[in-house]
Amino acid sequence: MTPLANWYTDAAGYRKLGLRADDLIPEESETVELALKRLSPKEAYDRVFRLRRAFQCSLSHQLLPKEEQTKPEEDILYLTPIIKEIEAGKKEREDLESMVIKRRAA
Amino acid sequence: MISRSSIRHLTFKRCRYQPANRRGLAAAASGNFKFQTGEAAGIKIASRDLSGPTTTLALVAKAGTRYQTLPGVADGLEKFAYKNTQKRSSLRITRETELLGGEISAYHSRENIVLQAKFLRDDLPYFVELLAEVAGKTKFTGHEFHEEVIPVLTLHQRRLLTSTRDLAHDSAHKVAFHRGLGVPLYTTSPTPSARYLTEEAISTYSTVAYTKPNIAVVANGANLVELSKWTGEFFKDYPTSGEAKKLDSTTSKYFGGEERISHDSGNSMVIAFPGSSSFTTGNTYKPEIAILAALLGGQSSIKWSSGFSLLSKAIPGQLGVAVSTTHVSYSDAGLLCVALNGGANGIRAASAEVAKALESVAAGKVSKEDISKAVALAKFRALEAEQEITYRLELTGSGLIHGGNPFQMNEVAKSIESVSVEQVAKAAKDLLAGKAAVSAVGDLHVLPFAEEIGLKV
Repeated sequence: MTPLANWYTDAAGYRKLGLRADDLIPEESETVELALKRLSPKEAYDRVFRLRRAFQCSLSHQLLPKEEQTKPEEDILYLTPIIKEIEAGKKEREDLESMVIKRRAA
Repeated sequence: MISRSSIRHLTFKRCRYQPANRRGLAAAASGNFKFQTGEAAGIKIASRDLSGPTTTLALVAKAGTRYQTLPGVADGLEKFAYKNTQKRSSLRITRETELLGGEISAYHSRENIVLQAKFLRDDLPYFVELLAEVAGKTKFTGHEFHEEVIPVLTLHQRRLLTSTRDLAHDSAHKVAFHRGLGVPLYTTSPTPSARYLTEEAISTYSTVAYTKPNIAVVANGANLVELSKWTGEFFKDYPTSGEAKKLDSTTSKYFGGEERISHDSGNSMVIAFPGSSSFTTGNTYKPEIAILAALLGGQSSIKWSSGFSLLSKAIPGQLGVAVSTTHVSYSDAGLLCVALNGGANGIRAASAEVAKALESVAAGKVSKEDISKAVALAKFRALEAEQEITYRLELTGSGLIHGGNPFQMNEVAKSIESVSVEQVAKAAKDLLAGKAAVSAVGDLHVLPFAEEIGLKV
């Protein structure tokens, strides 16, 4: 399946605009907002740079030159682990909140 | 595993066979409730098995502000207590503790960081595991540092900046000991610490602070056998000092001097003299300083009476100055502090009395009755401190780490009783001959210099 997946991701076209997969995650949720806050300053800066470059390309109906496009090995998940961590935290809180305490039979 | 019931049975039996160990209802406080000490997995432990239903457990680490490697890391490490660890989240720690009806806290002093838990007796294993995990496996994540630790630190700094009392106390320590004990308990201004204080710095400090020879586990109301068993189990993978860099623990040296800080919201003055080290660490312990502190006094222990102490007699109430003399002792040094708080003019008038009072003690002009009252008060204070569990646990732990004896109060009381009038006079004379550490915070136009109130700096 992997070759097919590679072809599909490439065909999705975001790499041609210099973006990474995690740049496409919708920002309009509390979880993602918090995750974005937890990025290191360097990562946050790079993310904004990629987005602005992609906007420019999109407005001018151009693709980035081949060497500036995101290479498959650069397309790493930098935001997903943080989102997962936050979601795990939320789930734990919900679980603990709806917990039923049973007294152990002595 | 030895079952709990059989241990209880054993200890109960032993008590019954040795009636000399028990204290009758009307007997004087004799300090029979001694801490038993031991070692588990290379960590020093102490416990006293009182038969109450609750236990107080403390992990004492010799890593207070005195030993910190960068400004503010001891404070930061304390604030990171009970945050996410590699095994569970801070939320889970909170909820589990709530379910068990426990109470967890952390604080730091100039010498120690203390993680403390209070809980029902049967939950000992859970809380020993918790403290082991908090000290050894905290993750020190960046987002917790920015979202939870830093805001608390900043709030604390802001409160401290408005409190002349705390500023004067810190400043007196700074003047007296320079580095080491002189480092302020909390960083006062956010600017310099922001450069040093990062989650990585705190994480690094924790690996140095929580090593086997640097911590002690102390419990009040737990069986030593059980404590030793669980400590052995949960603390066994702690690093010994081999890998970690040792903390700088040069012996404290007293310098003395003067510092004046201009401040708009109140006036405080601390006049400090070299004191005595704590009883637990032996050789520089001087009980006469504690008596001198009681004799100088300033605050009455009896309602509607100014009390017998020299300063409360010399300083009239209408000056509007609160005077109190405390003796703070550390493992290898101490500080006898006279703190004056109130209006600037009142402090100016009152501060002159401090040197005069010391001179009258040195000249032997104080009545014998006053001295015997001071001895009684000093003894009472020492024995009362014994019963305050939090203080006692920290002192016991710190005593164990420094390789001394655990804090045994009846011996302290004995040594206070044996001080003679001449010894007290000589101590006062020595203090006056040496340099004082004076700090004035507030309206510097009015507050006096040390020279003006007859002290050498």
